[in-house]
Amino acid sequence: MSALLEMKGIVKRFNDTAVLRKVDFSVEAGEVHALMGENGAGKSTLIKILTGIYPKDGGEIFWNGQKVEINNRNDAFRLGISVIYQELSLIPTLTVMQNVMLGREETRAGIINAKTMRKRVKDLISKYGFGIKPDATVETLTIAQRQTVEILKALSEESKMIIMDEPTASLSTKESDALFKIVEQLRDDGVSVIYISHRLEEVYRLSDRLTVLRDGVREAVLTKEQIIPADVVRLMIGKELSESTASQNLRKSDAPVRLKVENLTRKGIFKNISFEVHEGEIIGVAGLVGAGRTEVMRCIYGADPYDSGKIEFEGEALPRRIVANIKKGFGFVPEDRRNQGFTPLLSIEKNVALTNYDTLASGGIVKAKKERKLGNEMVERLNIKPNNSQIPVGNLSGGNQQKAVLAKWLSRDLKILIIDEPTAGIDIGAKDEIYRILEELAANGTSVIMVSSDLQELLRVSQRIIVMRKGEIFTEFSDGRVTQEDILMAESGILTKEGQEHE
Amino acid sequence: MRQENMRRIISVASLVIIMLIFGLTSDSFFTADNILNILRDCAVYGIIAIGVTFVIITAGIDLSTGAIVGVTGMLCANLLYYYNLSAGLIVLISILTGTICGMLNGFIVVKLRVPEFIATLSTQYLFRSMVFVFTIREMGVITNKRIENPAILLLGGRINGIYLVTMAFVLLAVIGQIILKKTKFGTYIYAAGANRKSAELSGINTDKVRWAAFIITGFLCGIAALFQIGRVGSVTTDLGNGWEFDVIAAVVIGGCAFSGGRGDVFGSTVGAIFMAVLQNGILKYNLPTAAQLVVKGIVIVLMIVFDAVYNNMMQKRIQQKAREEDAAEMAGGEA
Amino acid sequence: MNKDKIKKMLGRSQRLWILVVIMLALTLLQPGVFLTVSNIRSILLSISIYGIMVCGTIFPILLGGIDLSVGAVAAAAGAFAVTRIVADDYSTTGVIIGVAGGLALGCIVGLVHGLIVTQFGVPAFLITLATQNIVYGIAQILTGNNVIPCMKPESFAFLGGGRLLGIPFSIWIMAFMAVISYLILTRTVLGRDVYAVGGNPEACRLSGVRSRLVTIIAYVASGFTAALAGIVLASMNRQAIAKAAQGYDNFVLTALVVGGASLMGGEGSVAAAIWGAFLVGVVQNGLRLMGIASDYHGIFKCIVVVAAVALDAHVRYKKSGLKKGGFFKKKAKVS
Repeated sequence: MSALLEMKGIVKRFNDTAVLRKVDFSVEAGEVHALMGENGAGKSTLIKILTGIYPKDGGEIFWNGQKVEINNRNDAFRLGISVIYQELSLIPTLTVMQNVMLGREETRAGIINAKTMRKRVKDLISKYGFGIKPDATVETLTIAQRQTVEILKALSEESKMIIMDEPTASLSTKESDALFKIVEQLRDDGVSVIYISHRLEEVYRLSDRLTVLRDGVREAVLTKEQIIPADVVRLMIGKELSESTASQNLRKSDAPVRLKVENLTRKGIFKNISFEVHEGEIIGVAGLVGAGRTEVMRCIYGADPYDSGKIEFEGEALPRRIVANIKKGFGFVPEDRRNQGFTPLLSIEKNVALTNYDTLASGGIVKAKKERKLGNEMVERLNIKPNNSQIPVGNLSGGNQQKAVLAKWLSRDLKILIIDEPTAGIDIGAKDEIYRILEELAANGTSVIMVSSDLQELLRVSQRIIVMRKGEIFTEFSDGRVTQEDILMAESGILTKEGQEHE
Repeated sequence: MRQENMRRIISVASLVIIMLIFGLTSDSFFTADNILNILRDCAVYGIIAIGVTFVIITAGIDLSTGAIVGVTGMLCANLLYYYNLSAGLIVLISILTGTICGMLNGFIVVKLRVPEFIATLSTQYLFRSMVFVFTIREMGVITNKRIENPAILLLGGRINGIYLVTMAFVLLAVIGQIILKKTKFGTYIYAAGANRKSAELSGINTDKVRWAAFIITGFLCGIAALFQIGRVGSVTTDLGNGWEFDVIAAVVIGGCAFSGGRGDVFGSTVGAIFMAVLQNGILKYNLPTAAQLVVKGIVIVLMIVFDAVYNNMMQKRIQQKAREEDAAEMAGGEA
Repeated sequence: MNKDKIKKMLGRSQRLWILVVIMLALTLLQPGVFLTVSNIRSILLSISIYGIMVCGTIFPILLGGIDLSVGAVAAAAGAFAVTRIVADDYSTTGVIIGVAGGLALGCIVGLVHGLIVTQFGVPAFLITLATQNIVYGIAQILTGNNVIPCMKPESFAFLGGGRLLGIPFSIWIMAFMAVISYLILTRTVLGRDVYAVGGNPEACRLSGVRSRLVTIIAYVASGFTAALAGIVLASMNRQAIAKAAQGYDNFVLTALVVGGASLMGGEGSVAAAIWGAFLVGVVQNGLRLMGIASDYHGIFKCIVVVAAVALDAHVRYKKSGLKKGGFFKKKAKVS
């Protein structure tokens, strides 16, 4: 039996750090092959090599038994490999048909032959039982429907292999079920599907085989019978590691409540979010991509509106405006650092000062000396490199950029710091420093709400952990020992709601 | 209802409303002659607007169209006066000149990566200066000379009462709409404007597409210039001055969005008629020229603001709808 | 990074050198004409008007916006001041009301721009282009489309024609505005906010900066300086005319771009912008001395603006290309 795709001994390095270390990966024709692993295990790097976005540093790729070089997206496309992107790549103002056939329009005497194209698309739609019309404009479709359009596009290109990266991240249960049916149908049609997901239940249900990656190494290949959720989790995390990083410091806080969120709801995004944050407490918010964590935080901070619910801060209703909340002692470090965190052209000093002009200026006039002093102080205190507050933040490395964003808030009398993915894309040394800063803050009475996808980080830093799933709070870990497995199982929906306080 | 149709209805409705306003307040508005005049006046702008529609759908802008008409017209007048070229040659040169100007715009935008509005604003200065290079001078003084070539003057005439330029406009608009809606190139124009990155992922060379849109606009400016000099019979240095704005206003009123990917030639045609009606109707009130300018400007500003508000509203509506559907699914699915 | 620093340093002294070299060249090319007291004075006088405008128009530019209405606003403000003074029989109260009213007019126009840009998300170039027509109309209404002479009173004539310590008073006004603008941009919270919002509006919003307010103030500032420049110009010319400041928009834009302000926002300084105004003023004067009529200066403006912006775009592109690794390069090859 020969595999459709064979990747052998794939090696990839970024700046001397090996991200993939001789990974083997093979997919057969007409199978659903799941690819799992924690964040940073190397899944997306492997896929990017397969689709020609990254060049590989070693190893070979075979397609139908023949050695191939995939140097760019077109090479992958020609072989018959399609990717359904997380951020959808459709043209919103064109119709379903136009999108599906984009770049491959059929023409007669220069005029588009809409009839035959429509028929082709219609045939495909009815063959797979999709509930969309060929002439609907894409922007009026729901996210799930748009995803089916992407799949349609791949199908019309007669792809032999479709790669789906977290396809259910923003889908409801019902929509996910529909997607599973499509995946099964694809398999029956002889199309191979590489299915990347954190959601074990889906993988369990769908996949014929499963490859687990951990730290750039292929940990295991499991057949359908071998897939047992608890085992998979253990493989992903690594048994020893899981034990050693189990949380020790989960505890309920006796300090007074500082922030109380009650039944916070934003239609279609999250609902009935209720939790409390005590003084000097670090709360971790866990969940998969699309669980609604960032959205909840933005609403609390006042960056986005919400539909119903209550937020109380020190016993009073919290205003829905950022400026007012900052005055009350809020700080916010966003997930998308580059686009939302800082102004790249401005120096560290001026970025830091931006949130501090209530003290750094009087009557609208900036006290330049104080401003400079603060900038230098922060560079010193956070150990920002290079050690110069006049350098534009855009020129710093990721970790130092994050420190600069944090520095904006640290000089303030912070009551609450909301920090979203504090260490995404940051090297280990800087990570430790950021953890230390958060712990220091908490020790001085600041409440920290930390959204994170990094399980080790959650366990290391937080005193309580809230787990969100599909726009709701699924459970909370607030005492005793918790391991990465526990959180992963809760996030990915292996645990049922039975016995939990909600419901 | 599809958003496109909705926007179309709004464009047509605003045209009908403004026509009713003028029709009810002025006796001389709804006369055959006046309507024919309006159709003549809208045609020159309208021809250019077809091209600008292409450019705006690719999320670009062209502020040099008026100046292209100016330079093309002046060059033609110059050649007619000094060299007495044949009409056929003049037509060819005019169209070629416009096309070259469009090509230059495209080059600056695509190859030099200068933002569209600044690139075409700069070439506007350039073309305006070029007008003076081609002006006819007697003893160093700029002089207006009548165009004598009968064939060129014929372009300003009419057949069976309908102006030639109107016919050309209708023909070009139909062709433009067909290109936009029925050809690969048209689809790529939309794709390049609505989501350039995705369009490139689908193998579309968006640089070529955007460049082509500028060239088409230049080409159409060349044609518009011919009809204009044919009608007026002479060329002054301010030929085409400020036209670019009226053209853009027409396109915006017709439903093209600056964010790209939206609108079509039909809408821009309606917009061009709207602008001509506005111009024509204001004249009927015997206002001083300055007041006309102000009234016209205010109407255009209101239309622009309305368009922006409408677009924002629709965007929110669509998102809201999708979110509510998701919410319904969520509730249904989990139960 | 180091390279950047060197480049920046070179860039700074380069500015001075370019100016010196050009002036030297002109002195040699036009001996006895360029480097004369009267010529330098006339250069300074013309630059003073542009210089005043640049001080305010830099605000929207720093935000990544633009103001194309400055010429129209200047004309309208000058017209308002002069007509008021004439109507008040050349009294001092007339001067005060006229000047204050003219400035208020500029601020109101700026306020309208700011509100429309922030509340409705209309592109700045479009709305400022649209209001340009309205404001020109207002200028025409005020002047009745005539030249209105205004030689009196002394207090008004002093603005544009007087001297203080042997230096024309308009230069003092420009210097004063430049210092104010410089202080606002470098010493106040507002200035900090302008640079920050221009560089990344969303990050600023999340940091509690009132981006909308900042934007509105920026357009008001631009309207204010345009109005001030217009009043000084009217005083200098001792007359009001609707066409007084035609073409000033593109001059101001050229000066800003030459002065290194990035049209993407976030980069630029008043000093550099004034330098840009100087350079453009000197070159314009030189061209005129060499017998090239101002009608042709658009050619030069186009080349300069395109070159400056293309260079900026090229540097940015290179930077972004490096950051994103080989991904973009590869894609470019494919397409």
